[in-house]
Amino acid sequence: MKTYIITEFKRNFKSLVLWTVIVAGLAGLMLLLFPAFEDAFSQLEDLLSIYPPEFLEIFGMGEGGLDMSNIYGWFGVEGYLFVTLIGGSYAAILGSSILSKEEEDKTIEFLLAQPISRTNILFGKIIVVAINLLLMNLVVSIILLFVFSIYGELNVTIWLLYSFAPFLLQAVFASISLLASIFVTKSRRVISMSMGLVIGMYVVDIISKLTESAEFLKYVTPYEYINAVTIVKDEMIKPLYLLLTVSIVTVALLATWRLYLKKDITV
Amino acid sequence: MIKIDSLTKYYKKNARGILDVSLEIKKGEIFGFIGPNGAGKSTTVRTLLNFIFPTSGSAKIMDLDIINDSVEIRKHIGYIPSEVNFYGDMTVEEFLHYSGSFFEVDYKEKMFALSSRLELDLSRKIEDLSFGNKKKVAIVQALLHSPEILILDEPTSGLDPLMQNTFFTIIEEEKKQGTTIFFSSHILSEVQRICDRVGIIKEGKLIKVESIEDIMNARAKKVRFKAKKDFIFEDDEIVALKRENSHISFVYTGTTEKLLELLSGNGVSDLTIIEPSLEEIFMHFYEKEGK
Repeated sequence: MKTYIITEFKRNFKSLVLWTVIVAGLAGLMLLLFPAFEDAFSQLEDLLSIYPPEFLEIFGMGEGGLDMSNIYGWFGVEGYLFVTLIGGSYAAILGSSILSKEEEDKTIEFLLAQPISRTNILFGKIIVVAINLLLMNLVVSIILLFVFSIYGELNVTIWLLYSFAPFLLQAVFASISLLASIFVTKSRRVISMSMGLVIGMYVVDIISKLTESAEFLKYVTPYEYINAVTIVKDEMIKPLYLLLTVSIVTVALLATWRLYLKKDITV
Repeated sequence: MIKIDSLTKYYKKNARGILDVSLEIKKGEIFGFIGPNGAGKSTTVRTLLNFIFPTSGSAKIMDLDIINDSVEIRKHIGYIPSEVNFYGDMTVEEFLHYSGSFFEVDYKEKMFALSSRLELDLSRKIEDLSFGNKKKVAIVQALLHSPEILILDEPTSGLDPLMQNTFFTIIEEEKKQGTTIFFSSHILSEVQRICDRVGIIKEGKLIKVESIEDIMNARAKKVRFKAKKDFIFEDDEIVALKRENSHISFVYTGTTEKLLELLSGNGVSDLTIIEPSLEEIFMHFYEKEGK
């Protein structure tokens, strides 16, 4: 079991490095731009005032939104999106492919012939997905720690929330993608489905912010669950959203497990 | 050692599975499982290994249920798949260590010994290996933990004749140590070489289980020759009679002497007597079943 998990981890390590570099790099890059905009912020405020309030709402800069002259507000508007959207994409791709790739490459036939239960096969893969996502967020959190300490006063709560709230969203996407990969084993197809989910949910998030009549949609989209405005203003993730996240992930993983135990695996 | 009881598997989409297969394999026996492609050989193997679930019926391996005790069973099984698909990015040695890591036994000595006998280059990546070399990796990974049962699904495909020979020697050694072997194949000659008994499967049904001895005794010859068109045969031992242009062919299951008697004085020319193909053997069994 130990060797199995280590082997799985090694097999997915290259893509972890690549995605982490992209996510952490983009987040870091946006943070480095902060000093330049901090000085120009008074002009920026004038500039922003010409945009319709709905537009600003999308980026969390609307009424009661984020203050961009502050590093936490700046990151919430300019960097956080990369971590959630691109990190979410990585989570969806990883969740889609970690199991389906074995079936597509037909290597599952080897694994199933070894004395390891399907529960443990699945459990090992889920562990590797969780470790990979946590590692990616850990790298981002280190960058955030440095930048927040340099450009502002470190608020540990906000820093931790910014660092690990995206993990909740990623866990939702990864677990739903994993569940989908039980039914669709062509990894290319299941990856496009999962990416559709990641982008689709983002669009739902925007719609729920723009349209009052569609506000209820915010309960559907994981982007709202870990909203930057709540993190900075309230220094929390709303308990209801936390509960929703945990429930979605639990249900998706349990369903995956039940189905995988009974699945005919023909290669 | 292996007891299969009315095992039935239907696939969705109407693909053929297996129907009511019952079979018992004794400890230390090499059981040949023969049939053409698509007959249900792999379906049977995959059901025994619990890759797929039976629609009805059951099976036990070492008195353990193939579904509920699958993990325990697999501790004692070595499996060579018909199509070898291992992790391409690993080297042969990495992969074999990985394979051995699933078992609580010391596998290293046997792993290296087998690899050198099969002339396997341990440092190469699996994705760079030829079909035959991949098959060698499959052989080593199936045997390295010294399993009590071997399940072999077309194990010799891709191996050159010399390596096939080495493989059969290895299998015979395993048998001497009491290993039970389930040997699925569509090549009659290799089954004849090492098996004690054979089961013949066609269209998902096990149509015959015979000892190799009986098969040898009942072994038919394929006869093909040129003859006059009005040549009429009336003999119970003739099956699968075919006329193609000026040639006539059939499978003859009687004695050679009777065959010569039958042919003489009928203007027969261009005569060949050869081993029948597996399909023709099937015809032999089929027609006998029908009678």
